[in-house]
Amino acid sequence: MRWGLPGAVVAACVGYLIYSASGGATEYYMTVSELQAHATAGDVRVAGVVQDDVHKSDGLHVTFTEKDGTASMPVQYTGTLPDIFKPGITVVVEGKLGGDGVFHARTLLAKCPSRFSTQPYVK
Amino acid sequence: MILGYLGAGALLAALVMGGFSSLLSFWSGIRQSETFIQVGRRAFYAAAAMTFLSAVVLEVALLTHDFSLAYVVEHTDLSTPTALVAAAFYGGQEGSLLYWTVILGILGSASLLASASLGGRVAAYAAGILASILTFFLFVLAVVASPFDVLSVTPPDGLGLNPILRDGGMLIHPPVVLAGFASFAIPFSFACAALLARRVDAAWITHTRRFALLAWSLQTTGLLLGMWWAYHVLGWGGYWGWDPVENVALMPWLATTAYLHSSQVQERRGRLRLWNFGLVITAFLLVVFGTFIVRSGVVPSVHTFAISAIGPWFFGFLVVCLLFSALLLTLRSNLGVEAKPAPAVSREGAFVLQNLLLLGVVAVVMWGTVLPLVSGMFGVQRVAGASFYERAAGPLLAAILALLAVGPLLPWRHAGRATLRALRWPVAAAIVALMVLLIAGVPSAPALVAFPLAAAAGATALTEYARAALRKPRSILRKRRRYGAYLAHLGLVVAVTGVAASHFGQQVKDVTLQPGEAVTVAGYSLTYTGSEQRQLTDHTEFVAGMRFGDQTLEPSRATYAGLGGQALTHVAISTTPTADVYVVLAGTNPDGSATFRVFVNPLVIFIWAGGAVIILGVLLGNVGERSAAMELARRRIPVTLPA
Repeated sequence: MRWGLPGAVVAACVGYLIYSASGGATEYYMTVSELQAHATAGDVRVAGVVQDDVHKSDGLHVTFTEKDGTASMPVQYTGTLPDIFKPGITVVVEGKLGGDGVFHARTLLAKCPSRFSTQPYVK
Repeated sequence: MILGYLGAGALLAALVMGGFSSLLSFWSGIRQSETFIQVGRRAFYAAAAMTFLSAVVLEVALLTHDFSLAYVVEHTDLSTPTALVAAAFYGGQEGSLLYWTVILGILGSASLLASASLGGRVAAYAAGILASILTFFLFVLAVVASPFDVLSVTPPDGLGLNPILRDGGMLIHPPVVLAGFASFAIPFSFACAALLARRVDAAWITHTRRFALLAWSLQTTGLLLGMWWAYHVLGWGGYWGWDPVENVALMPWLATTAYLHSSQVQERRGRLRLWNFGLVITAFLLVVFGTFIVRSGVVPSVHTFAISAIGPWFFGFLVVCLLFSALLLTLRSNLGVEAKPAPAVSREGAFVLQNLLLLGVVAVVMWGTVLPLVSGMFGVQRVAGASFYERAAGPLLAAILALLAVGPLLPWRHAGRATLRALRWPVAAAIVALMVLLIAGVPSAPALVAFPLAAAAGATALTEYARAALRKPRSILRKRRRYGAYLAHLGLVVAVTGVAASHFGQQVKDVTLQPGEAVTVAGYSLTYTGSEQRQLTDHTEFVAGMRFGDQTLEPSRATYAGLGGQALTHVAISTTPTADVYVVLAGTNPDGSATFRVFVNPLVIFIWAGGAVIILGVLLGNVGERSAAMELARRRIPVTLPA
């Protein structure tokens, strides 16, 4: 048996799986100003910097303003917050922009200052 | 200060020796000059030794708090515990590259020492390729990202390590993962050397397989430790997030898993020669690609990496490796011509299908990883969430699980009626599992596929053991590699069961409780007993008490005043035989109540236990084992091909 035929069949299946999953299971990743320029119906991920107006009603409900240089939007989120969450850090929120202009976040990720330092020491 | 110059000097010496070894090894390989092959190899050992020396210097600088070095200042401070000061060696960009280079030097030297049986030319070319890779890393370390940069003014104290990294996981996960990454260079070098020298016989496979197995074991351990660390530290209740950093560690692992299986087809049947070269080369290219992706910041990740100058250098290195391998495989494509076709339904066929499916998973993960980059070129960036990977890779993983049940029962060459009879146990196990799930009322279709397939695969491995135990019990000890592999299969089945159970069965509840109030999640009852504040040297801790049966769980939140008030959550996990009760303290409120997120994660312990069994199976099956190819070579079965 030549391996060409099974190879082609598997490749076609993988291609189809990737294609079909790409349609429904990928999201736009944009900045606040890009989101305001293109209104999208589905879930999106929006990156921006947390402003000083963080308000926590209890450990799980939080509202704040996310800004990306020019544009800003209010964000409402329910869930546990990442440890490094505080004004000034960059977060990525995932959810929908509501008709009221408030972004309802389903998940909130903070950019993790991981192994490799973000702020190099002044040399 | 003196340490900075000493370390930089050692790196420079290593760079010179590495370059010398590379040129001399290639030249002496072409000329087949035994003496110069020796000299080239020794130059590699010297380069490895100098790299090791520079690593010792960096470690000494860290432990003696030599704040004249920028690297020491950026990653430690006087209050960092000693073990973590030592770990800061691989905690930053430059140091982790140095660690990688040291491992490459050590494992490369070991592989060259063991390569005597391969004959002068292959060994010489392998030394040349290894030395070239080592030289590239040393060049980056010496010129672009040196860990020995000296500050003009020595500060009194350093900046310290992020509290998230102040954890035991930091001591074990990064070194294993980085060592795994570094070790993929060795099979790659020997594969390319064998192709260059037109040696595609059994000795090549034996030697490469050993180091591929080492790389695979390190990477398996590293991935598991990373999952374990994420699960215990990050507090989101999961262990795998399909982040680019995780994906790029997974892809070379998948490609090497494919190679470890398909190399048996070459060992036993002399087939798939070129394919095996391709897999080993692919694994290394994926490592280089991953390093480029992760350290250049070209795709969005929750891990922020310093946008450093090394990105373009790694991109260049990737392009060079890609062109070199593609050219080599094209020039040597005549080595892959096979005598006559094999039947589809056979062990060979199963291995080929498994390989194709694994590469399919690699393609899915690759597409998800680069999607932001590709889509960004044509408009607004898109990202792949977890559901993309689940929907695209899920069916492929299910097919691989099915092959895990069927493949080991298929004979080499071609399958007959006996194979169908052998399938009765796995089929019975799958049916029983399906019935149990249906009676239990599990509604999720993917769960109804995953668990029965896992049961079938487990039954297959157990059947193999039972058959051997009934007929020839001694063969289990004699054919260690085979039964070690079945043990690894069993471990995988256990781990898959844990992954499926925690994936399909996770329950979450957010709750705010007054002291004395209780909450019940998935039948587990927890009572909040109150919280207290503890003042420690560098941080304040809010600890909540949760009574769970006769134990008290203490989820807490620490605040580090010295680090701009950064908080750190400590998850409390209670492992019962059937599920983990995982409690995160989200916050304490002024009225004395506290808010929690409680997860019940079924069978997570199966993942860690299964992972340990996989590693055990690989160790028992291979340490000190003579390979099938060695046997063939010993019995003088010709496998060498015309050039």
